[in-house]
Amino acid sequence: MAVTGVELSSARLQRNRRSGVLKRLMSDYGQEVVVFAAIITLFVVVTMINPRFVSANNLTSIFAGNAYIAVAAIGMSMVIITGNIDVSVGALIGVLATISGTLAVAGYPIWVAWFLPVLVGMAINAVIGVLVAYAKIPSIVVTLGALSILRGGLISVTGGTWISNLPPDFLIAQKRLLGVPVPLIAMVVLTLAAAAWMRYFAFGRSLYALGGNPEAAVASGIPAERRTVAVFIIHGFFAGLATILFATQLQVIQSTVPPNLELTIITAAVIGGASILGGSGTVVGSTLAAILFAAIGSALIFTNVSAYWFRAVIGLLILATVLADMLRRQRST
Amino acid sequence: MGRTLLSALLALSLSTGLGHAASPWTGGDDLPTNPLACDATPAKAAPKPYDGGQPSKAPDRKGKTLNVVDVPKLVGIGYFNATSKGIADAAKEMGTMKAKTDGPSKANIDDQITLIDNYITSGVDGILFAANDPVAISPVLKKALQAGINVVGYDANSEPGARQWFVNQAEFNGIAKTMVDSMAAEIGEEGAFAIVTSTFTTPNQARWIAEMAAYQKKCHPKMKWLETVEAQEDNILSFNQSNTLINKYGDELKGIFGMTSVATPAAADAVTQAKKCGQVAVVGLATPNAMKPYVSSGCVKSVVLWNPVDLGYAAAYVLRAVADGTLQPGATSVKAGRLGELKVINGSEVLLGSPTVFTKDNINNFDF
Amino acid sequence: MTLRSFIRHETLLALLLALVLVVLSLQSDKFLTVQNLLNQGRLMTETGLIAIAMTFVIATGGIDLSVGSILGLSAILTGVFWQNVGLPLSVTAVAAIAVGTIAGLVNGIIITRFKVPPLIATLATLALYRGLAEGISQARSVRGYPEWFYVLGQGSVLGVPTQLWILLLAAVTASILLAYTRYGRTVYVIGSNEVTARFSGLSVEGTKLALYTASGFTAAVAAVIFVSRVSTTRSDMGTGIELDAITAVVLGGTSIFGGRGTVLGTVIGLCLIQALKNGLLLAGVKGDGTIMLIGAVLILAILASNLFERSGPR
Repeated sequence: MAVTGVELSSARLQRNRRSGVLKRLMSDYGQEVVVFAAIITLFVVVTMINPRFVSANNLTSIFAGNAYIAVAAIGMSMVIITGNIDVSVGALIGVLATISGTLAVAGYPIWVAWFLPVLVGMAINAVIGVLVAYAKIPSIVVTLGALSILRGGLISVTGGTWISNLPPDFLIAQKRLLGVPVPLIAMVVLTLAAAAWMRYFAFGRSLYALGGNPEAAVASGIPAERRTVAVFIIHGFFAGLATILFATQLQVIQSTVPPNLELTIITAAVIGGASILGGSGTVVGSTLAAILFAAIGSALIFTNVSAYWFRAVIGLLILATVLADMLRRQRST
Repeated sequence: MGRTLLSALLALSLSTGLGHAASPWTGGDDLPTNPLACDATPAKAAPKPYDGGQPSKAPDRKGKTLNVVDVPKLVGIGYFNATSKGIADAAKEMGTMKAKTDGPSKANIDDQITLIDNYITSGVDGILFAANDPVAISPVLKKALQAGINVVGYDANSEPGARQWFVNQAEFNGIAKTMVDSMAAEIGEEGAFAIVTSTFTTPNQARWIAEMAAYQKKCHPKMKWLETVEAQEDNILSFNQSNTLINKYGDELKGIFGMTSVATPAAADAVTQAKKCGQVAVVGLATPNAMKPYVSSGCVKSVVLWNPVDLGYAAAYVLRAVADGTLQPGATSVKAGRLGELKVINGSEVLLGSPTVFTKDNINNFDF
Repeated sequence: MTLRSFIRHETLLALLLALVLVVLSLQSDKFLTVQNLLNQGRLMTETGLIAIAMTFVIATGGIDLSVGSILGLSAILTGVFWQNVGLPLSVTAVAAIAVGTIAGLVNGIIITRFKVPPLIATLATLALYRGLAEGISQARSVRGYPEWFYVLGQGSVLGVPTQLWILLLAAVTASILLAYTRYGRTVYVIGSNEVTARFSGLSVEGTKLALYTASGFTAAVAAVIFVSRVSTTRSDMGTGIELDAITAVVLGGTSIFGGRGTVLGTVIGLCLIQALKNGLLLAGVKGDGTIMLIGAVLILAILASNLFERSGPR
């Protein structure tokens, strides 16, 4: 399996040497370009049918309302790039949101309510990372187990009581900075920062090596175990930040595990180009994919597609994106 | 390839859409509807013989301590917390019932069936249930009856023959009338509205939507239904869907119905954040605790719901009465502790009463 | 070396299962009865069938997340073909299974022809097939099947639940296929090293195509059994069953990276999960506590087996 990843990344390196901006863009960011083109096409087509689609309000809903998915997908992409996966992230966000809301209502300072859950998320994921890296348990096994433990734990502790009476200052996701919704700013800043870190910093680049060819990475002196734990902790950090956006969007917190959230986040990461074989993908792609899904959900309502066929159309569009990317790769090699 | 498939799919959806013309609104089921009169005339109750089931060889449980399990649709949502509290209250009050709530963590028909099956093996005296699917749950409930267990449903029914009694929180057409009348009062007789529901496969929601369609056609013919969207039991998704509806229809949209206790507060939040309070009305089923912020701010005028604590409480008392033999087929009423006498309807159902409408004046008196 | 490690994990797991059975039977005298155990077999058949096919898929280093959606689609079609198209029920069951098989074939084609990684391919079809189920059914249920149909899901043959015979047959056939045939060896070789498999002239694509098709087929058979057991169809049937099946498979010792795993291990894993769910409930533990414990057992079982072997996966 790892071999394919190496083949892909070495092919990528070779292609980099060719000239031509467009070609280089395509070969470096092929999947990102495909997803971006899909977003543009979607916006153009839907706007022709119903111009209200691109009203400021609707754009805000699409971007700000789903920013937490994009932020969580950043960390997920990193995990997937190193050849791991995490199916427990939805349950984790549910647990952290409950902690956050409980702290806020109990009268702790707002910043404690925001950032203590981030630390808890990092701590939980550190345990997951240690089990994956040092105990050599496959990540899907550890996170399947963690999913059960977090979900069961949340229900038995809260019993599903809703959290309301949240202090107004706590609701950061509803605020605007210079007229721009905070979730949108968070999404853009975090995506760009993570992308730059993964491209220009040795640590970030080592993740690709780790996912693409673990043996070679270790041989070249990358501490594989420590990096794996670090990636999970970083993933926990982004899940924690996603939780802040998630928990502060409404005046009430549901304190349950959001249904199928992990699937949405994983789908965003992989459709955005994070290869499940490890070794390739970018966080820009996962954010674009998260935007694409949010836009599709909204577009289907705007274009009056029968609500019974929503999920079929979404599935078809995901499949079309995947196939388009594969055809592009086959043609370019 | 994608395009041909997509267009084929759209054509298919269009054709099947035409094929199912049973309910004019998306999300309703195709069972017959029975809209109430437009004024306050109560519906004429057609007398119906008892159609519930009977446990076979049930031991005499009169006055004995009952070991009861309550299996709601799912655990971890406010609504079923409240019913569970009601059951616990009743058990404590009676002193002769040991009740415990255990349900699936997702509203999943299979998990619920497995749980009930295991509790039959464990040898409980009584089962209280709220069905995720009326038909799917029936075989396992019949098995419980055969094992001599007393079976009483609440909130969401099974097939009548699979349980002894069902505590009906409010009749479907009654809820439909209250909801549509409240909406008409807020947005006028010619207003347009949309619906946010959980999923189209959820039986109670589908039934309410079908009854609302029938009642609106009969009593508020000029109101305009725009569309129904699904939002699972997910409050952020409900919020996003409500936002999309507001953005899509602009000033045309005058009201949103929330069909679940999850969707209604999220719709209210969407309206609040869009600064549309007073322009877009939110009417829906919800628990008061989740709705307090929106009702106190004046954004939501009225919330419709029976009291789920009372619902659980009544279900526990009905189970006690069945086990004691004081509630027999053919009875016309049953005593339920502090709720007094409850009426028997539809052969084998016990009616909790009319739904409560929570407003700014009374919402702070409720805590569930 | 590999054969030895299979036996290791399975022996460990079997011991654990025995321990769990003993402990749980001490907690409740209703647990270790023939009737209860047979009934548990009835309840785990659908997950079991899917897990058996999933064992093969995971042993090649692949995964199939779309099985729950194929189950939903086939269940809906059983009802729709019967009620709306008006075919006899026996024909519709076969037709629904055929469609489920084709859905599996489509997965296989996307994976082998278009070279889409299995996780992504089946993540996409997970959404697509569930969507088709919802669209075709228009959220309507089909109920009121003839009595004979319920024999499959609710009846018994020779005192044993009908579907348990099917599960047994599937488990035995699959065990033999995986352990003793050329086909089974091909599965392991693909899972250990796909390039080697290709160079040694094994039909990698053909084998994978057959596996994903078989996975669709078993999901569809599970669908018909499920419909017969609960006597109705709904488009949300089988949601999340893929994770239950995967849990059983990996608990059973199949490596998620491919190359090792046995059907016997999967069956023991399946029984262990079911025994915990049932036995803990009978012992008075609530559902949320049980799922926490199953999560912990999953992690600890793999951890223990890694410690024993000292040569964990990767």
